[in-house]
Amino acid sequence: MLPNRNIIRNAAFEAASEIVRQPVKDDVRLISSGMIDSLSVLRLITLIEKKLNVTIPTETLQPEDFDDLDLIVETVERVAKAGS
Amino acid sequence: MRFDSSLYLIFLAVAVTVFWLIPARLRCIFVLVASAAFYAASSLFLISVPIAVAGLLYLFSRKIVAVPDNGKFWVRMGIGILVAQLLMFKYSGFLLQNVEQVVTAARHLNRCEKFGVPLGISFFTFEAISYLVDVRQKRIGRVSFIDLCIFMLFWPSVVAGPILRAREIVPQLRFRTNFEAHFIFGGLDRIIWGLVQKNVLANTLGVWVDRGFSARAMTPSTFDSWLLAVAFALQIYFDFAAYSSIAIGAARLLGITIPENFRQPYHAATPAEFWSRWHMSLSRWIRDYLFFPISARYKSAALPLYLSLIGVMGLVGLWHGAGWTFVVWGLIHGILLVLYRVYGTVAQSQAGSFTKAPREVWRVLTLVGVLAAWVPFRASTLAKAFSFWSRMFMHFVAGTSYGMTAYVFTAAAVLFCIIEPWLAGKFSAADMKLGTHGLNWGRIVLRPVAYCLGLLLFMIFDQQSAQFIYSKF
Repeated sequence: MLPNRNIIRNAAFEAASEIVRQPVKDDVRLISSGMIDSLSVLRLITLIEKKLNVTIPTETLQPEDFDDLDLIVETVERVAKAGS
Repeated sequence: MRFDSSLYLIFLAVAVTVFWLIPARLRCIFVLVASAAFYAASSLFLISVPIAVAGLLYLFSRKIVAVPDNGKFWVRMGIGILVAQLLMFKYSGFLLQNVEQVVTAARHLNRCEKFGVPLGISFFTFEAISYLVDVRQKRIGRVSFIDLCIFMLFWPSVVAGPILRAREIVPQLRFRTNFEAHFIFGGLDRIIWGLVQKNVLANTLGVWVDRGFSARAMTPSTFDSWLLAVAFALQIYFDFAAYSSIAIGAARLLGITIPENFRQPYHAATPAEFWSRWHMSLSRWIRDYLFFPISARYKSAALPLYLSLIGVMGLVGLWHGAGWTFVVWGLIHGILLVLYRVYGTVAQSQAGSFTKAPREVWRVLTLVGVLAAWVPFRASTLAKAFSFWSRMFMHFVAGTSYGMTAYVFTAAAVLFCIIEPWLAGKFSAADMKLGTHGLNWGRIVLRPVAYCLGLLLFMIFDQQSAQFIYSKF
């Protein structure tokens, strides 16, 4: 079962903060600002998967779907719904 | 029709004037006709290729939207056809050279070479692939055939990008925006700056670069090898940035915004940062439509991930040209990216033990790596590239065949690159101060004077006229 929005958001916050090595603010653009590069976005997905204990299928995704915390929450919910 | 030719500048002036004079409902058709005329001026027969690609996109996107469950099949089929036509037109000679004894079919492919290579094929093929994938991923809906034709043929960007995405450009193709003076000023600023960059900086450097890298040239001394590597790094940057600036400016004249391609790339502190500043529209495309789909499968396994990155960069090299020298250029960048990644992983696992020094070391390594990688990109053969590297890094040979002018001009161009961000900031601040609306002295006096000076420089340095490097890709 997919965790609620707050838990997803916390997981996204912790994962992104771990990668950029500082607390990530809500409005920060992670990908388009260059804070997270194309290799790190894969690590971001892996970390979120581990924290939430879910699998995120990437077939219909692009890095920009992980551009900020709100988008990450939406993306995780969307792929989870599509998969269920 | 080259962007720095008088014919193009006349075409642009007439097209933009007519565009703003006709009713808004006719602008879409006018842009299509003007784009087709621009394309046909270069290759009348081959205009059928981008139009056929637009037709394929139209049919396949309808199939994808109508039956989403079969979407993957139609996307794969579409990408297969698009890649096949790219291979046929651009790479058949290269394939034939390398697999002649194995694949006799390549002989038939080579027949396509006699037709020539359709203008901008590398660019519109990537744009077409991104459209099919985006339709499948529901990032854009179905688009009309006319809009797809404009998307494929849009004259400001058809020759060498920036690589557009349908979801960013198609919503602007209604051309309903009312005329605003800042479209013209903004567009002219970019076009005239592009013309100056091309003629004054890129073409001047190109004279020494062409001489040094020509097939008959002797292997240069150590000083000259470094001079030529630096001069070519600057030439290709100013040349492609100039082209991109003119393309962005021409689109701006029509009220259309297309993506930027450069952000002072030689200021990058890491190999990854270099690719977020160099040919940004290509980097974004590679990241979203090639690297991410391939590497997401291996996201937890380091070795396959690194190998896929190096492989993808090799393909990026091949995209630039059908030759092993380009592949080697891409592989060097792939290896640099992996080395930086491995360093990052080690540094993170030993947090606190690394000081600021490694970042400055990486800045130097990135610059040296990028410079060394430009050598095979420009050299006619790998043997020639190795002889340059040998003189640059291993065997010191004194002396120089170039006069003081070449060294001083290259040093001045380096200095310009160093202060470019500061200059851009100053110009931007001054522009904001003058204001973008209404009549003011900046608009009435300063800009026309700056434009005249720019055009004067463009004409003075027009002696060494040379083709835009990226228009060959």
